[in-house]
Amino acid sequence: MTTARPGTFLLVDDSPLTHQMYRLVFSRGALGGSTLLHAMNGREGYGLLAAHPEITLVLLDLNMPEMNGLEFLERRAAEGLHPEVPVVLVTTESTPEDEERGRAAGATEYLRKPFVPADLERLVARLQRDRPAA
Amino acid sequence: MSLPLRAPGPLAFVDALASQTAAAPEPPAAPLLHLIAFQLDREEYGVPVSSVREVSRVAEITRVPQAPEHIRGVMNLRGRILPVLELRTRLGHPPLVAPGPKARVVVAEVHGRVLGLLVDAVAQVLKIPSDRVVPPPDDARSIEADYLTGVARLDGRLIILLDLERMLQAGPVPHA
Amino acid sequence: MDRDHAFAELIHEYIAECLPLAEGVTEALLEIERQWRDGHRDAGELGALKGRLHTLKGNSAMMGLRPMQAVAHALEDLCARLVADPVARSDEAAALLIEGGGLLSDLIRAARESDDGTAAEVYVARVRAAVDAHPASPEPALRLERRRTERRTPSDAGGTIRVDFRQLDTLLEIFGEAMIEQSGLPDVHRRLRAILGQCDELAEFDRVIGSVSATMKRLEGALMQTRLLPISTVFGRYARMVRDVARDQRKPVRMVTEGGDTLLDKTILDRLGEPLVHLLTNAVVHGLELEADRRRLGKLAEGTLTLRASTVADRAVVIVADDGRGLDTARIHTKALALGMDVRSDAADDLHQLIFVPGFSTADQVTELAGRGVGLDAAAAAIHALGGSIEVRSVAGEGTAFVLSLPLTLAIVRSLIVEVDNERFAVPLSHVAETSRVRTAAMHEVGGRGVLMWRGSAVSVADGGTLLGTTARPGPRDYCVVLFAGARQRGLLVDRLIGHQDVVVKGLDPALGRPHLVSGTTILGDGRVACILDAAGVVAREAA
Repeated sequence: MTTARPGTFLLVDDSPLTHQMYRLVFSRGALGGSTLLHAMNGREGYGLLAAHPEITLVLLDLNMPEMNGLEFLERRAAEGLHPEVPVVLVTTESTPEDEERGRAAGATEYLRKPFVPADLERLVARLQRDRPAA
Repeated sequence: MSLPLRAPGPLAFVDALASQTAAAPEPPAAPLLHLIAFQLDREEYGVPVSSVREVSRVAEITRVPQAPEHIRGVMNLRGRILPVLELRTRLGHPPLVAPGPKARVVVAEVHGRVLGLLVDAVAQVLKIPSDRVVPPPDDARSIEADYLTGVARLDGRLIILLDLERMLQAGPVPHA
Repeated sequence: MDRDHAFAELIHEYIAECLPLAEGVTEALLEIERQWRDGHRDAGELGALKGRLHTLKGNSAMMGLRPMQAVAHALEDLCARLVADPVARSDEAAALLIEGGGLLSDLIRAARESDDGTAAEVYVARVRAAVDAHPASPEPALRLERRRTERRTPSDAGGTIRVDFRQLDTLLEIFGEAMIEQSGLPDVHRRLRAILGQCDELAEFDRVIGSVSATMKRLEGALMQTRLLPISTVFGRYARMVRDVARDQRKPVRMVTEGGDTLLDKTILDRLGEPLVHLLTNAVVHGLELEADRRRLGKLAEGTLTLRASTVADRAVVIVADDGRGLDTARIHTKALALGMDVRSDAADDLHQLIFVPGFSTADQVTELAGRGVGLDAAAAAIHALGGSIEVRSVAGEGTAFVLSLPLTLAIVRSLIVEVDNERFAVPLSHVAETSRVRTAAMHEVGGRGVLMWRGSAVSVADGGTLLGTTARPGPRDYCVVLFAGARQRGLLVDRLIGHQDVVVKGLDPALGRPHLVSGTTILGDGRVACILDAAGVVAREAA
């Protein structure tokens, strides 16, 4: 099992607490030293993704004001913005239909809340292994 | 900063503070100069206490591109952006790459202009009778001479008095 | 709560974020109950609560707080049912909702203690029973439609209209562009003058430029005025918070607010929230004595917190004061010496300012709420980043007052923060055409100068280090920022792109002369000063 490497991560979520949690997770262990970009809604997140070609992975909440996760993915697909960057949809629960819709819109993976730091590390490691660009 | 004054209430003591005027004791008949003394290399310098707002530790100094010579950069002083003058080079001493542990920034104010002076160490507050001050010696380096008001002998020490007004007013050399 | 949990240290942040959310939900539910009692039995804001409940559920789940997660989930389900089924909108249902909101708030407030989860379990079971008892009835879409239009539309009395704040932001952005374009006029005038010499028409042109500039200034002032809001909008939030912290601490407290009609720029108000929360929490937790102690000292048993706002000249002054025990000067002095700080003065006022130094806290017990010494220096940093200042005045035994001085308006520039040789600079985004990774293939050298092919033209490229004086010789850089000013462009090579940030512009002190490359300075979030680059200066500068 490969270990995760630090990278540049875009975190899109409307909860400041969640951002704090991400900061914690990305400050330790294999992911320590990563660069984090924070957005509070899909619109902000989209802007950051457009402005930062160095982003290696996006962690995207579903329910956000202004532009939610699905809308973010749809816009990204329509505009062809950085299609090679993996996007992980982070959500509390989802039905198989939700997951289908997400993947159809362009999500690479799903990460279910609640997750512990180890879950995230494993996911990142797997994505980094499968997609060297990450 | 003056606070809005109000009728007595839970903040009565704050209002009392606001209306307090700094009551400094009247200077004695004999003219005593109150100076803050500080060190640069092995020399001791003094500036009037009345011109010094505070003495601060050296926080991170951000370099400003194309700033005039002798301006080391700017520093965040409780939210105020303070230009910091490298006093060593201004007075003809060789510069120090990194300030030592005793280095301080003397925050000086003259005619409303505030500037930080980076010094090696701050000694103490001195009271010198003004009749102990003599003009600077003729062989004083010419760079320094412009900024000196005089020199005082005190217990075997030589304190060089700086002309803060001159130094703060010395305009920056406009850059090409 | 489980102290070994991965995110246990964030419990304070969890409470700070989720408690107001939960209380907001309860307030909205109270409003819905009122409306239902008045006969307007529509879904109202129930649907809108979904987002907040979802966040509460998610956050609680992440923190391993199952009772809160379960209650939030139950509320979500109940709301969904009541939205779908108008028949179920009974007084009992409303009461059940409100009970859930209150329970959720209580649980969150007590999150630091362990809870056996019984209260939550019981509530969830009751909600399940209520939801199952009323199987959803098919709701003809038509009836719903009519109900919706009957809802009272929000309107303001008097001569005001509601404007989405984003529109004001757009207005300001467009205004900013106009300012930049207008600022090119004096240069054109100068160049015309060089060609044509002095003449009446040029003098007229000059006058027109002057009056346009004056009008722009007035327009800016008027635009900034539209963004002003009374500070009472944030005061209200704090009364509740203070009440809860006080209950938590078992101290009777009342909060007095004055000057609520003081107007402040919305951006400042938004960012003032966090530091104010720190200060208020600090006042209740550390400032106020226990009730018994206060009685013994002859003070009113109820502690008083005062929030006072006013305008003094061009600043807004906000005072947060308590009538508690005041700062312990001797303890501060001792702590300072213990921390190895070189304490010159022992004047009380000077010593008191030390409490803003990071890591400084003289509280006996480090409570998770406010005692880590984290609050005050972070609060000070947030206020500095706003272009404000904070001081503390205190009299032992009588109380402590934090005095905040804030600018009334902010000159803010949306900037890209870049790093070159470990020095950070702010680049106004309005002058950034593009940023990209450096691909050596796209870089060329023409006549000894770096050139980039960009959108069909050759753009000269400068090494950020040699241009900004961070280093004597250029080095390999990872990113290129293409700047433009007027019709000209320049590529600037930098090491890192840190991110976008709204920075508060502080003018250049005259002591710094007139550097062409720098238009101002700002304080970044970490307290460091950064220079704001002047795009025109960078673009015009001859490569070294």
